[in-house]
Amino acid sequence: MRWVVFKEVFRKSVLEGLRYLFNLVTALITMYLFFLILFLGSRWLVPGLDLGSTTEALVVGFSVWMFTLFAYQDICWGISTEAEVGTLEQLHLSPAGFTWVSTCLALSRFLMNLIPLAFLTVLMMLTTGRWLHLDLVSLIPVLVLTLLPAYGFGYLMGGLALVFKRIQNSFQILQFIFIAFMATPSVAFPWARFLPLNLGVQMLRAVMGEGLALWDLPASDLVTLAVVGVAYLSLGLLAFAHCTRVARDRGLLGHY
Amino acid sequence: MQTTLPVCPPVDSPVLEVRGLTKVFRRRKAPPVTAVDGLDLTLRPGETVGLLGPNGAGKTTTIKCILGLMRPTTGSIRILGHDVESDRYRAIAHAAAVLEGARNVYWRLTARENVRFFAGLHGLEWRKHRDYCEGLLRRFGLADRADEPLLNFSHGMKQKVAVVATLAKRTPLVFLDEPTLGLDIETSLDLRALLRELAREDGRTIVVSSHDMDVIQDICDRVVILKAGRVVADASVDSLLDLFRTRSYRLALSDGLGSQALVRLLERLEGVAADLKADLKAKPGSGRTELRFTLASAEGLYRVIDLVREEGALVESITQEEPDLEEAFLRLVREGGDVR
Repeated sequence: MRWVVFKEVFRKSVLEGLRYLFNLVTALITMYLFFLILFLGSRWLVPGLDLGSTTEALVVGFSVWMFTLFAYQDICWGISTEAEVGTLEQLHLSPAGFTWVSTCLALSRFLMNLIPLAFLTVLMMLTTGRWLHLDLVSLIPVLVLTLLPAYGFGYLMGGLALVFKRIQNSFQILQFIFIAFMATPSVAFPWARFLPLNLGVQMLRAVMGEGLALWDLPASDLVTLAVVGVAYLSLGLLAFAHCTRVARDRGLLGHY
Repeated sequence: MQTTLPVCPPVDSPVLEVRGLTKVFRRRKAPPVTAVDGLDLTLRPGETVGLLGPNGAGKTTTIKCILGLMRPTTGSIRILGHDVESDRYRAIAHAAAVLEGARNVYWRLTARENVRFFAGLHGLEWRKHRDYCEGLLRRFGLADRADEPLLNFSHGMKQKVAVVATLAKRTPLVFLDEPTLGLDIETSLDLRALLRELAREDGRTIVVSSHDMDVIQDICDRVVILKAGRVVADASVDSLLDLFRTRSYRLALSDGLGSQALVRLLERLEGVAADLKADLKAKPGSGRTELRFTLASAEGLYRVIDLVREEGALVESITQEEPDLEEAFLRLVREGGDVR
């Protein structure tokens, strides 16, 4: 049953992705233009500046931010869009459970996003002239663990959208809070390691910038990354379950 | 290819058992609203049941509670023996629903893609169920345009896709909430005919909620009428109509009844018949007079005829008025009463 549901959800995501191809292309162009503003803007402010490792940090940080945005938006926008078009209640009628259906949706979209976002990362490397290490065996596990809190926040905001409906403005605010999470220096503030994305970005810099393999990374960091990721994801899922319960109590699942 | 495949194993137990279902919506700064109030309902395999009620009667709330989309305040709901609250996924594996018609499907996907996706959501593998789903698409007249995105479809065709996507799940219990809402007469009649055929052939239990009495009278064997969250009638469509058919008459009187005689006759009839109306087609004494009335029992008709004769008029014809479900519904809802 669950495998059939995953297959059909993945198939539908691919079909919708193809039908909404223009939307994806414009999103990628917007992201690239935003990156260009950051990169060229910093060079324009200080002409002749060699950013060195800062450029690598910018490419890695921006890539993680892109993946985070897509992961987070796939969940929260996905849920609110389903409510808007009137199909959310139908998804709740699946015997596999809505949590599984939405997990399949998130996983499908993550897999579909991998290629265009990887392409954009390569384009950023071309633009900056800084080539990063793309060891997928080390990169993918660290990236997935890094993104778990983004999915947690996606579920939290998706749950809130079920109850409060039009909260898209707060969706956008959170996108910029993610930057703050990533940018908080953990050297000055050791607790920042427990913030969403923070430790993951540092580890991805080590993998992509310094070329470290997965097994070269400190085990304690990997464990912390996994625990922090699972904790935020679990909190998001708990909040989502609570919001679904409230929405069922108030009869709000089909409303928009 | 035939579409009449068995959708569920034969079961002796009820398909649906609802006991004491109550749903109260609590609101801030306003008194709570009781949408459903102690509702009991049992559905047997193969029944087609119409759920009728005025706006706010609790029809949609009842359906959504049954499907687990709303949490009941109190009461229990079991689908094929599985409790909807404690064993939700097993329970809803046996149920499917069209809840908001054309809004229940993806407009960017084609008809076939929608049907495949929703069947897949219920765990049905396309390669095993493809023939059945293709048969449904053909039967609903969608096969020729099955590969077009729904964006290009009319409202009625989208509604049909939503119904096919629901039937494709092959569940023994199907809810259709306002399946013909917003459809033109031709499409509505077409959809009703298809639903009637499928209900008879497929052996599923189908619950149709609608404001359109003709839809219920056309498709359903049994009708449940809700008013203010309570069941005020639960009977077969035929017996509900029989109940009203036995009481309403129309008497056409021939010439010869003067105006004074008519007034006298009406006064004397008041003791026998309720809802008495004299419908004068022409002036008394020169034309035809029609009397419409309702009797407490069929025997009262003889007394009415005697009184007419005594006033010197001749009975030209007696017609038993044929009530439709709309009339039965309006009387039950307006005048109260309980038919179960």
